[in-house]
Amino acid sequence: MRSLLFFALAATCATTNAQDAANFGATHADWPSYGGTSFSWRYSALDQINTGDIKRLVPVWQFQTGDYNENLQATPIVMDGVMYLITPRIQVFALDAASGRELWHYKYPTPRPGKPGGMTFLQNRGVAVGDGKVIFGTTDNFLVALNAKTGEEEWKVSVDDPRQCGCDITAAPLIVKDKVIVGGTGGDAAHRGYLTAFYTKNGRFAWRWYVIPGPGEKGHETWKGDSWKLGGGAPWMTGSYDPELNLVYWGTGNAGGDFNDEDRLVPGAKGKEANLYTASVVALDADTGKLRWYHQEVPDDLWDFDSAYECILMDRPINGQMRKLLVHMNKSGVTFVLDRVTGEFIGAFSTPEVQTWISGITEDGALVGRREPQAGQVVDVCPSATGAKSWNSMAYSPRTGYVYAPINEVCNDLRSASTPANEGRFHANGGFSLKLPPNRTTYSHIDAWNPITRKRIWSVPYKYILLASMLATAGDLVFTGDPEGDFFALNARTGEKLWSYQTGAGNRGSAVSYSVNGRQYIATPTGWQQAITGAQLSPLFPGENWRGGSTLIVFALPEASK
Amino acid sequence: MKLALLLLMVATLSYSQSLGEKVFSQSCATGYCHGAKGTPAGAPRLAGRDFDQAYITSTVMRGLPGTAMPAFGSSLSREDLIAVIEYVASLNGIAHPVVNLGPGPGTAGPAGPPLSPEAERGHDLFFDAIRGFKRCSTCHEVNGVGIPVTTPITKIPADAAALRALKTPDVETATVDGESMPALIVSQGKTHELFYDLTSVPPVLRTVGPGALKVAPGNAWQHSSVIGSYNDAQLDSIIAFLKEAAASSPQ
Repeated sequence: MRSLLFFALAATCATTNAQDAANFGATHADWPSYGGTSFSWRYSALDQINTGDIKRLVPVWQFQTGDYNENLQATPIVMDGVMYLITPRIQVFALDAASGRELWHYKYPTPRPGKPGGMTFLQNRGVAVGDGKVIFGTTDNFLVALNAKTGEEEWKVSVDDPRQCGCDITAAPLIVKDKVIVGGTGGDAAHRGYLTAFYTKNGRFAWRWYVIPGPGEKGHETWKGDSWKLGGGAPWMTGSYDPELNLVYWGTGNAGGDFNDEDRLVPGAKGKEANLYTASVVALDADTGKLRWYHQEVPDDLWDFDSAYECILMDRPINGQMRKLLVHMNKSGVTFVLDRVTGEFIGAFSTPEVQTWISGITEDGALVGRREPQAGQVVDVCPSATGAKSWNSMAYSPRTGYVYAPINEVCNDLRSASTPANEGRFHANGGFSLKLPPNRTTYSHIDAWNPITRKRIWSVPYKYILLASMLATAGDLVFTGDPEGDFFALNARTGEKLWSYQTGAGNRGSAVSYSVNGRQYIATPTGWQQAITGAQLSPLFPGENWRGGSTLIVFALPEASK
Repeated sequence: MKLALLLLMVATLSYSQSLGEKVFSQSCATGYCHGAKGTPAGAPRLAGRDFDQAYITSTVMRGLPGTAMPAFGSSLSREDLIAVIEYVASLNGIAHPVVNLGPGPGTAGPAGPPLSPEAERGHDLFFDAIRGFKRCSTCHEVNGVGIPVTTPITKIPADAAALRALKTPDVETATVDGESMPALIVSQGKTHELFYDLTSVPPVLRTVGPGALKVAPGNAWQHSSVIGSYNDAQLDSIIAFLKEAAASSPQ
């Protein structure tokens, strides 16, 4: 009897722990972090808005930032009924998340200009909120902390000099315990990429991890001559964190001198690991920034296929055993499933339908049949350097077990030429011209993939390209938007389109869900991107007019029906 | 004679265009940007767009705010600027481009005497990115590069020993929330008090409310504690750089 009771108790505890682990990545009333939680699921456990009532979803408030020249890419952060939103020109707004009323407003002074020909961009993908502060990066490479209650500056620290490095900060920082970790741009520039951690309390330096190991460090030998000094690899997006393992996960950028490896590849290294730790997923000790493990996804990248994007952390059974996994999509659309404790490669699948850059991936994750750019020639490959997916995030629903991803079908002609690396200057060693693959009428699709079985469950085609993030909810809904301005919801299990709203401007941001006083909201930034990927892809569809703007639109069910 | 003049004109034009095309291929037709000869690539097509001369000149010089198109006015030499503007004009059917840059721009051309080899080494050490935050430019700005935490360097130490022994009377002791630290006080206004916290590199610009900051003169902080990544020979090179930079500075 006693042992039975013990068993029952143990079973209950085990279930609770498993459920905790299974739901750690879900958000509830708040949307506390860039990827929802530090597991980067972009999944809300709220289900007031669901497949049954989605048709009644209506806009309830909107907020125009006034920075309409650029667009709005930022993921809004919501904490205790307050929404924090940042614009490309570094205006930060604190809004009443139920009404849109402005609580405070901060405007960063005109940034120091970056290095001409460098990699500084007018865009910002979000703030981090924690320790009573709102923390963000700037176009001139400062990390700034505001008082979350008043919007007043508390500390400000220079992460690098944009007039030298040609880099800047566009990613949302990640708060991990008492520190805030931030990366920067410069993956395609002559610059040595890094992650830096500062203490949230006072902005003091905590640690820095260089993507490219210095002399005497393991991995340094994978760089030819002095190429490591300006070899790129900048981790320009936001990472993830597992508190139980105390590991921070980040994807790194590609090696600089993108399309030609003559100056960076050690003789005889063709076909082996090269230029570590670029185009890799890395696990770092959260306290020290020391490298714990890595997995290089694209050894000797020659296509601008960096690994800078989100790391989705999930616990799933494989062959009857619960595994701690990390699911990561490379810019090529090849998606890797790794054991996040050890970095062990578990499996990979490729998401674009038109793929010519490789012929396949072996069972242990090696890329085979590489179609590489050649100096002095034009080599056409698919997908393109703008990515099968861009920086916009996937979402993961623990209810379906699927990851949801927008995939673009665009190809490019690659030109390759060795050019000198000048510090802080763009260093691509060639270039690319985008083009559409022949014999298709649709050039993107939203997919649901089971990352364990590596099967595509459903796919919804779209005639142009898709550059907005995905949001999944416990209402079995998946939200995203398109360049024509439609923000819409799909059935998470079937892909069926259940609801759509014309927002008036192209969608290139990241929607979130939250609740205030028991009412669930869906919020999406709108405004087409005028620079880099958005601007590059638009000319493929001449005659289309994907509108800019900078408006946040917030939806809910009508008041009476909540 | 007439023929000779014509030949000269053609030669001049083709020289200029080839330089323009060269500058274009190095600065414009790269990576995420335009394609060769103004074809569309990462950035839009530039050939055959019916751009007028003023638009081309202004866009090359000042860039397009809010887009990835940078301003080249201060990053290319005057000669390169004129050549590349003429080249883009030729791609848009402007047969006789007249490029008027106005006074000033093209500042990336030869400016002041070149640095001596030792000063050049000093320059590279001063801004050495490999040292991360342990480089001079973490706190000092020279010729528009570096983070101006301190006031411009006016007194240049005679040698490495003098640089190591440098007195820093501006560094005071700030106390906030019971914690004391070496600090450079920026301002103590009625609404805010600003100071650089020098506890570690890089310095942190901190803002506190009025009355929250207590300042006591002097601090045990030493300049030698932040230049440990350099040896004496390197510091001597840096001093040589600072001297030559001061001599050629417009001030």
